[in-house]
Amino acid sequence: MPAVPAASSAAVAGTASSKPLGIGFPYISVLPPELYRSGLLDFVELTPDTLCRARRDGAATRLDLAPERLERARKVCGALPVVVHGVELSIGSAQHWNAAYLDMLDQLQACWPFVWHSEHLSYQTIPGENGAPLDIGVPLPLPGTWEAVDLVAERAAVIRQRYGVPFLLENPAHYLINLPYERGIDDEIGLITQITARSGCGQLLDLHNLYCNAINLGFDPFAAIDRTALHRVREIHVAGGSWRGGFWMDAHNGRVPNPVWELLAYTLPRCPNIAGVVYELLEEYAPRLGVAALDQELSRARYLWERHGPGSRAQD
Amino acid sequence: MPLLDHQMALGQCLRGTDAEARTAPILDAKEQGQIDRIVESAGFRFTRRVQRSWCRGRVASVARLTLSALPPEQAQKLLGDWIEMGGGTASHTAAEAGAFLEFIARDLPDPSHARTICRMEQAIYRASEAATDFECPDLRLLDDPAAALCAGQGAARVDFFAEPQQLLTAIEEGKRLPPLSETYIAVLFAPGLAGLFRAASADEIALWEELGTPTTIRILDSLYGRDVIKELFRIGAAELAVRQDAGRSISAGSAHNLSADTPPNTAGNRGAPLRDADAPAISRHQCRCRARV
Repeated sequence: MPAVPAASSAAVAGTASSKPLGIGFPYISVLPPELYRSGLLDFVELTPDTLCRARRDGAATRLDLAPERLERARKVCGALPVVVHGVELSIGSAQHWNAAYLDMLDQLQACWPFVWHSEHLSYQTIPGENGAPLDIGVPLPLPGTWEAVDLVAERAAVIRQRYGVPFLLENPAHYLINLPYERGIDDEIGLITQITARSGCGQLLDLHNLYCNAINLGFDPFAAIDRTALHRVREIHVAGGSWRGGFWMDAHNGRVPNPVWELLAYTLPRCPNIAGVVYELLEEYAPRLGVAALDQELSRARYLWERHGPGSRAQD
Repeated sequence: MPLLDHQMALGQCLRGTDAEARTAPILDAKEQGQIDRIVESAGFRFTRRVQRSWCRGRVASVARLTLSALPPEQAQKLLGDWIEMGGGTASHTAAEAGAFLEFIARDLPDPSHARTICRMEQAIYRASEAATDFECPDLRLLDDPAAALCAGQGAARVDFFAEPQQLLTAIEEGKRLPPLSETYIAVLFAPGLAGLFRAASADEIALWEELGTPTTIRILDSLYGRDVIKELFRIGAAELAVRQDAGRSISAGSAHNLSADTPPNTAGNRGAPLRDADAPAISRHQCRCRARV
């Protein structure tokens, strides 16, 4: 299988430039709504599953937007632009992806247009005994095979067409060594590079995921960034984690570790089409962390954005 | 190795339920070696720990009250058993809440406060799910005496053997539960109720029991006041049993009294004959409530 030539233009559809948004933060329903009007953030990242109810529809599960949750989220977010970050699509499942998620996303886009949307490069379902999708319980990374590249690239291209806004794939955190990688793909950087190049979609570069994998699987994260197709990176995630069972876990449970801030400072000036940096935090940890700490993390992200992001380049 | 085989082999190792071994892909020695190298790694074992922890967290969140009402060891064992059976893997665990609560209810003494709370949580899921697209039905539908009513799919009756608020407060605050009373307070859960529940009147309890079997309005009218029938119909505690083509047995809704021992989707009233004074005329039709899953 021949390697895909590197994209020659920054204006690839997945990263087609629009005005950079700046610093983003997830919509977390338990936080004070004032946070979203404080000026600390420029846009909001929605995980639409949190606005949904699931219900059985025959053998399938249907996702319905819950009007009261949607209404509250819109009220809290006000006029801030929104982007969507999915966790349910299972874009890499060999036999099924989550069509119900896309149906729900259709509904969401119709009532609350988003600037771009993203999904993890992973799979979380396998065929069950009767062929219906069976949840694994956690997302798993794809093996680096050309079959996987073709499958995901084709699906990503379909999604780009369907929503007409940039679609980004996120590099996942995982703990699996010895995943197979075919020649020409070679590693997880090669895998996502091949997929984004073939599909024309962009990349959500999660620096905490990269940091986790670098620690747990043993590689240099700066060298990995150097090999990433950074012209495709539209969004960057930073987050916190913690040690558990001898692994640095992608827990989204607190402050961003210093090495991840260092990675952000290194990466930002190298991403010509970057449009936003999001500090990720899980809802269950947000109240414990507190608004003061959130303020500090978002302010630090903004400092780096202003110093190394698109605005700094315009001033140069 | 084909992508599907790789994913099935790893996914099944991670889920680790015996039932799924039957669908395991057949791998050659090289492929099996590839999978073994992953599965035997510390990273895979850690991934499995994470998976179990996530599943546990998801399931615990859908039965929070019920698990709080049980001794901690019993709650942990039930959670563990459910996870080992493959539970908790879906992100939207609300979809399996009913089944998990049914699983818990199986071994709870009847009557007991724990069983009441379990049935209450089940009834809340059922009613709130039905409430998402519930519309008050046209009451003129009750004017057809040959039409049959059955228990609403999103409705349930739960019996409390203590004052409900006292019981719930005791559970929330981790205090000693009130003694089990010899009498009970029947609470009706239905999608059309503001707040989804309220105490049921004696007439409503009697009518509700009747609705375990699809029954024509002619019969119901002869036994109960029209106001009671209208009220249960209005709030979705009763619904029309839908007629279909002839040739199959009649089956009724699965909701009904949650103190029944059968799981929600296989409740004992399914397949029950339609009750009517002139049954032969009606039985030419198949009668079925919307299947609830």
